[in-house]
Amino acid sequence: MPGDGSITARLKRTLPVRGPQAPTLSELMRWYCLNTNTHGCRRIVVSRGRLRRLLWILLTLSAVGLILWQCAELLMNYYSASVSVTVQFQKLPFPAVTICNINPYKYSAMKEYLSELDKETKKALETFYGFSEGKSKVRRSVDEWNSTGSNFFQQIPLLKVEDFSRTATDLRSGQKRKIEGSVFHKDSSIVNSGDSNDIIGFQLCDANNSSECALYTFSSGVNAIQEWYKLHYMNIMAQIPLETKEKLSYSADDLLLTCFFDGLSCDKRHFTRFHHPLHGNCYTFNSGENGTILSTSTGGSEYGLQVVLYIDEADYNPFLVTSSGAKIIVHDQNEYPFIEDIGTEIETAAATSIGMHFTRSRKLSKPYSDCTETGADIPVENLYNKSYSLQICLHSCFQKAMVESCGCAQYAQPLPTGAEYCNYKKNPNWMYCYYRLHEKFVKEQLGCQQICKDACSFKEWALTTSIAQWPSTVSEDWMLRVLSWDKGQKLNKKLNKTDLANLMVFYKDLNERFISENPANTLVILLSNFGGQLGLWMSCSVVCVIEIVEVFFIDSLSIVMRRQWQRAKKWWNDRKRGGSGKAPQASDVERQGHDNPVCIDEDLPTFTTALRLPLPQDSPLPRTPPPNYSTLRLETAFTEQLPDTLELGQH
Amino acid sequence: MNLKKYLVRALHRLQKGPGYTYKELLVWYCDNTNTHGPKRIIKEGPKKKLIWFFLTLLFASLVFWQWGILINTYLSYNVTSSLSIGFKTMKFPAVTICNANPFKYSEVKHLLKELDRLIEAALERILQPTPGNSSENTSAPLNLELWNQIPLVLIDEHDKDNPVILDIFETNQTAGGNETCSHQGSDNCTYRNFTSAAQAVTEWYILQSTSILSKVPLHERIRMGYQAEDMILACLYGAEPCNYKNFTQIYHPDHGNCYIFNWGMDEEALNSSNPGAEFGLKLILDISQQDYIPYLSSAAGARLMLHQQKSFPFLKDQGIYAMAGTETSIGVLVDELERMGYPYSDCTMNGSDVPVKNLYSQYNTSYSIQACLRSCFQNHMAEICGCGHYMFPLPEGVNYCNNEDNPGWAYCYSSLRSSIKQRQICIDSCKETCNDTQYKMTISMADWPSEASELGFVLYRNGIIKLNIYFQEYNYRTISESAATTIVWLLSSLGGQFGFWMGGSVLCLIEFGEIIIDSLWITIINVIGWCKGLKQRRARARWWRLTPTWASSTSPLLCPGMRRCPPSPAHPHPTMTLCGCSPSTSLGPTAMQRPSERGVLPAANHHRCAACHLLGKCLLSVKIRRELKALAVLSYD
Repeated sequence: MPGDGSITARLKRTLPVRGPQAPTLSELMRWYCLNTNTHGCRRIVVSRGRLRRLLWILLTLSAVGLILWQCAELLMNYYSASVSVTVQFQKLPFPAVTICNINPYKYSAMKEYLSELDKETKKALETFYGFSEGKSKVRRSVDEWNSTGSNFFQQIPLLKVEDFSRTATDLRSGQKRKIEGSVFHKDSSIVNSGDSNDIIGFQLCDANNSSECALYTFSSGVNAIQEWYKLHYMNIMAQIPLETKEKLSYSADDLLLTCFFDGLSCDKRHFTRFHHPLHGNCYTFNSGENGTILSTSTGGSEYGLQVVLYIDEADYNPFLVTSSGAKIIVHDQNEYPFIEDIGTEIETAAATSIGMHFTRSRKLSKPYSDCTETGADIPVENLYNKSYSLQICLHSCFQKAMVESCGCAQYAQPLPTGAEYCNYKKNPNWMYCYYRLHEKFVKEQLGCQQICKDACSFKEWALTTSIAQWPSTVSEDWMLRVLSWDKGQKLNKKLNKTDLANLMVFYKDLNERFISENPANTLVILLSNFGGQLGLWMSCSVVCVIEIVEVFFIDSLSIVMRRQWQRAKKWWNDRKRGGSGKAPQASDVERQGHDNPVCIDEDLPTFTTALRLPLPQDSPLPRTPPPNYSTLRLETAFTEQLPDTLELGQH
Repeated sequence: MNLKKYLVRALHRLQKGPGYTYKELLVWYCDNTNTHGPKRIIKEGPKKKLIWFFLTLLFASLVFWQWGILINTYLSYNVTSSLSIGFKTMKFPAVTICNANPFKYSEVKHLLKELDRLIEAALERILQPTPGNSSENTSAPLNLELWNQIPLVLIDEHDKDNPVILDIFETNQTAGGNETCSHQGSDNCTYRNFTSAAQAVTEWYILQSTSILSKVPLHERIRMGYQAEDMILACLYGAEPCNYKNFTQIYHPDHGNCYIFNWGMDEEALNSSNPGAEFGLKLILDISQQDYIPYLSSAAGARLMLHQQKSFPFLKDQGIYAMAGTETSIGVLVDELERMGYPYSDCTMNGSDVPVKNLYSQYNTSYSIQACLRSCFQNHMAEICGCGHYMFPLPEGVNYCNNEDNPGWAYCYSSLRSSIKQRQICIDSCKETCNDTQYKMTISMADWPSEASELGFVLYRNGIIKLNIYFQEYNYRTISESAATTIVWLLSSLGGQFGFWMGGSVLCLIEFGEIIIDSLWITIINVIGWCKGLKQRRARARWWRLTPTWASSTSPLLCPGMRRCPPSPAHPHPTMTLCGCSPSTSLGPTAMQRPSERGVLPAANHHRCAACHLLGKCLLSVKIRRELKALAVLSYD
């Protein structure tokens, strides 16, 4: 037939047999199974019997499944970290030590600002608890109150609340009124004594909308009054400029009597002033501000920082602070000292010895854990001029929310640009707003806790605090005398031992513990684990994977395409012939394997060679097909020759 | 003949191997290796061959690169740490108890009498605002000998450039200072500045009293300190009562007599198997505050420290205070760090490899970093100042410093103490121990005895201390190191990498080695053949010149293509000469060029030379390879 010949010729021309040399899919599969490097497939083809073949198919498939499962596990566990702890013995940088008096401002200096408020508070206490003064006096003072019309109580009235009747008694006027709005218990409901009628609280109202009121109640009058006092105090302090406040607070000379570091004397020049909104002037030792950070090369109490602090207890604000002493915090030079949150309190008339142990930790950031290196990726502006920490982020976040919703900034935190501190001359509504916002913040409704992340690396000084009596009874006399002399001429009175606190901060040992996370896996290890799995189950490798891609995707696809193309050609030819009506005989396409003239090439493809080899009866396993290389021919030549040579030897 | 036979057999054995040429060898290797890549190189068409060749190369280089990384990782000796926390029966820590004051004042008064009078007078001078009304002329004359060695001076720094220095016994000024001179002369003096007089006085007193007390023999000093039966009033360990006899006495230079509970030196250390104060150590101590030396220590209380058995207590570093008149409860958590030694981390197991002589070994205690640092300092001090400091144990043949024998010691000591170089040397030479145990303490305090119960107590409230030391609910936290990379890990990772990229194993490496040996073998054959050929050619060239007729007659049999050979048939000749001519290397190419003539060769020589027959066969079979050189070996024998 001329048609057949032309099709074959054209096929050969347009589709030179390359790549998939198997004519059909099943032959390709068979070829693949016989020639692949993986172990299971070969057994499927060479096994005799349906059961055994099925078994091998199952085994191979389960091996594939296992590989996939194990590799998925490996991949999922890729981002895990291992922890290593190293201890280094070395010269250690001494941390910054910030010391504050618990009382923020000298009470004597604050008198002019606070006299009004204090008077009111005193009166409130009198009415409330009927201190020492007689009843008549109280009545009189109440009358006085009513006549003067106290500013403080008008804004935030203190109330005695009867919970069951939902009525509140105004402490000032004695008027009863129905509670409107919501009631917030500042104390936990568990602690709240149910039968107590004397729940004291104060009411905060929205100034723009007087019906919007919230009542804050406390189970203890002390808490209520302190909280109430603090609100007013913050109001007043917010109006005082920073320079004045610094003057009102303690100076370095006031606070520090003696100083000793690493066996050498030091003085106020080694301290940096730092104004804390709630604690007044604090002094940071070794703040690193002048560029040098002191370090210790010997542990022990003699070589640390030793200071004697002068705590002028007589000048304490009676309502604001109820404890006396100093607060200290040990922190890194780059860290902001959150003294109100994590400070350690120092007792007076005692020597407090604080032994430090230094630990540095480092976490891996994304994708291992959700922490931040510098805080630059956190959408909250850092209001503090210090390096990022979670505390800073939370405070900044709250301050931001405060400025947004209340229009002014809270007093205890730094000012964002363009904002100013709240006071009720300008923002009469701020207290209500602040309480509402704080409520939300605590209940995690502001989203700050979600936005803020841990810092990845942090330094920690573990403190061991112990206290000894100081000065001892026998040394008290001369010690106080000499210290009074040290204090200088401006102090006329003799010092009392309850005005003094001795503080020692030192390294217990110079071992720096460094806890760091390291990636448990690297790409190299992952790949070797993959290799181990592939090899264990199927003796497979990347080559096998490439083979699979080659055979199952490229070759199979091209075989299918080729067959389609041939079919289309045939159909076209049939149509062209049309009228002749002669149905083509067994199409060459349908013929199998190497019988197909289409696919027989001059250079014999290996798979056909493999298939041509008949399976010998005696050995069920097919051997590797003899390659058509000269090597083998050479060998044949020599085997033929062997008897010859032997013959030669016999000659 | 036998030898020839043997060699022929050897040749055949060789033929069974990979082949004669490099190419054959490579093809054979590729076809038969178990490594996955090479097999595919020879399987398919030329394009695929090329692709597979490069893929195999790529994978092989990947494998080597990753192996390099893995071996590097292994050699960096990383460690992983594992943390365990919980409660287990543990050795109760050794508890060292000292009084903050080293000696009873009543006992040392006679020694310090002069000094005390001196300091009182000095204080008087300092505190008196106006000079002139001094009262010392009424009292007994002061012994100024002590004073003149280390005088206290006032330094007026109002004028920064010319500070005014005034001896206290002449007149007074504003700031306190403390002068230490070396004995050579007043020009070699340093002033230690203090901003506070209190500190200056304390430091001065400590220096002076150290010098005085160092002259007192040790047993006398022990006698002057607090005795166990006076100090330890009550003791209870768990439910067992104990008393002062359960404590080991040790003399501590800072704190006088110290008593160690459960030191484990003579008897087994005690175990504690229950958490809580009920099962811990309860002590009542009397520190008798009335008997304190007034100028020596200003803080009053007991000094205590928890440490490991058989280790020396360094109270200044790790000790804590317990306040008089309180009950101090100490919950203990044992924080252990177990590290692997060299090469994983730089630590020492028992201090034997540290280049500092451990002076604390005379106490029979184990090595610790504090002991090393102090020994290092004391050794330096003995070397430079010629005497040992009173606070540390003595090296052999050295005495403690005192003002009589070593007048300049205070100067020497203070300059050594503040020397940064000296400290750095010690830090560099000391190593921390591999097993580091820390006792983390949770300290809480309450007033004790309470006001109500105090009636029953006859003791002075400012002098007694109650101590509870017990294990917390979780009493250990152990961080132990293990090697992150072991040899097993390395091997499995290497295998994993090789398997992942190429499906290879150790056997594949052996195969590869075999191939290299084979190719070496081929090279050897070639080289020998070539050398032989060269020799033969030279010999033949010589021979040719001598008997040209013979050569020309024999050569055409074997060398039909040679132009020099005469065309006429040759005469019969001895076999030996035939063999002599055969291995000419130049024959190969000619034979190749004329494959049609190959039939002539055996036919012509069959009856004459069996060896030639063989040669012809050889020629025939290797014609494709152009490898006649191998024959040279054969014909040689």
